Amino acid sequence: MKQTKLMWLLEQLTLVLVCIIALFPIVWMFLTAFKNGRDAYDLSLIFTPTLDNFFTVFRAPWNLGSMLMNSVIVAVSTVMISVPAAALAAYSFSRFQLRAKKTMFFAVIATQFIPAVVIVLPFFIMFRNIGLLDTTYALIVVNVAIVTPFVIWMIKGFIDAIPLDSEEAAMMDGASRLRVIRDIVLPMAAPGILTSAIFCFILTWNEFLFALILTRREAVTLPVGLVSFRTERGDLWELMSAAGVMITVPIFIMAMLIQKHFTRGMTAGAVK
Amino acid sequence: MAHIELINITKRYGDFLAIPQQNLSIADGEFLVLLGPSGCGKTTTMRMIAGLEEITSGELRIGGECVNDKPPKDRDIAMVFQNYGLYPHMTVAENIGYPLKLRGVEKNERARQVEEVCRKVELDKHMHRRPAELSGGQRQRVALARAIIRRPKLFLMDEPLSNLDAKLRVTMRAELKHLHHELGVTTVYVTHDQMEAMTLADRIAVLNHGEIVQLDTPEKIYSEPADMFVADFIGSPSMNLIPGRIINGLFECDGVRVPIPFQTSVSEVVLGIRPEDLTIVSEADAHIRAPLYALELTGESTLATVRIGPTMVCARGPSDFRTEIDAPIGLKARGDRIHLFDAQTRKRLNP
Repeated sequence: MKQTKLMWLLEQLTLVLVCIIALFPIVWMFLTAFKNGRDAYDLSLIFTPTLDNFFTVFRAPWNLGSMLMNSVIVAVSTVMISVPAAALAAYSFSRFQLRAKKTMFFAVIATQFIPAVVIVLPFFIMFRNIGLLDTTYALIVVNVAIVTPFVIWMIKGFIDAIPLDSEEAAMMDGASRLRVIRDIVLPMAAPGILTSAIFCFILTWNEFLFALILTRREAVTLPVGLVSFRTERGDLWELMSAAGVMITVPIFIMAMLIQKHFTRGMTAGAVK
Repeated sequence: MAHIELINITKRYGDFLAIPQQNLSIADGEFLVLLGPSGCGKTTTMRMIAGLEEITSGELRIGGECVNDKPPKDRDIAMVFQNYGLYPHMTVAENIGYPLKLRGVEKNERARQVEEVCRKVELDKHMHRRPAELSGGQRQRVALARAIIRRPKLFLMDEPLSNLDAKLRVTMRAELKHLHHELGVTTVYVTHDQMEAMTLADRIAVLNHGEIVQLDTPEKIYSEPADMFVADFIGSPSMNLIPGRIINGLFECDGVRVPIPFQTSVSEVVLGIRPEDLTIVSEADAHIRAPLYALELTGESTLATVRIGPTMVCARGPSDFRTEIDAPIGLKARGDRIHLFDAQTRKRLNP
């Protein structure tokens, strides 16, 4: 009895410690975002909060507005292209008897094993040759390539869990294969597809390496934009934090919304 | 409505031959039941007719037209699935109206027909519920309503009653029978329940290992089983099968001597006799003498089981028949209801 109580206490302490370690940088970033330049280096928790930083970052020379726009364009376009394509691919992998289906599926997943740094240079050269360097098009192409395999894998898990009976019933009722997908499969897999879409959005929104290498001025996204706050005058922590908050908050809200579906989605994909 | 023909149909899954070769002709408006134990190929046969399973070789004709390469949607067949196959995200009315929606039936007309069918299957109070909010029996009726809302050439029913409780099953059985009478649509019905088959069918096809072992009316299947498999499969309790020999027109084995009313050249045989064709008599008149093994009251009768060597023999006696376990009893077989099977080929020997 005594031992179980001790174990419980130990467990709670560990959890609290892990939470502190994980959350401290985020909390500190939030605090710093509301400090002025001088307070930023002060370790005190008492300061006069200000919203100035949030206005400053949108003004020249930082121009966070255009970066925000780029991020939104890249993330939304990636989701719009990747999710429908992945849903159809996932349906095929789930339902059709294909030759070498396992090998094909493995090949799709295997693309995820290649480290990004290995392919970033070929991408750079390729986009330079076709004149797409520093455009959101390039980022959309790259992000679609990166997230689609993962989204296929996720959605396949959800489709596998849908009983075949309803689909066959629809076919007997007179529906073509595409109609079955539209009327039966997609509505039934909707929670899973939505989860995958949001996951895809988060991945693209946070993507850093490719955006750093493939953009210079026009197509810079928010995560890369953060780097510009390291100036010859030193690191502008308060501005960096304000921008950081703006990157984090949308993701934070989305993650909260899908948390329940997300865990279910992960297991559905994993077990099947 | 249409006439269905299966001509030399085979089905292979890789190296496994599920349906060796099937020939079957189903008349227009007929209620045909495919009956057999699990894994005998009855569902595969039905799914090939539906178009959900590819035909390896042979020809399937519906209304004289070869439909081998037609997708399910173009075959004009309605099907009721074992697990109903409802659309969980749609209401009852949307589920039932879906086949009409696919055929472009105008919205008001659709609503009118859905309501009419719902009334027929007593679902009119639940039209706006989702399948998850319905009981098993109600879900079954939704599946049925979805099938009957249009007049297809053919109905396929894949063990539609197997998920219902015993009482509801009997009610729904009568409903199905009545519905078939009312609509007159050719129906193929799959089941492993011989009682369902006997009560519903115009003809029964008994399947074993992918082959039709007997195709006939329920009466014939019951009274003249083609082989020991059919004899054993049909009837509850099933037919008594006693191995023995024919000596001078008498069937003989330990404690059993039954006169055979016809000639046969085979000597190693199996005698088949249904429990209701055995009467409990005094030992002097008996064909079978053995100690009582068990006595079961079923309500309208009593089942008396005796043991002859390794074989159990069951007889149906009057409901007031009582005696002690292990007490010797005598059983007499009705001469015109005796079945003889070849012990080697398992085929029927009666002329």
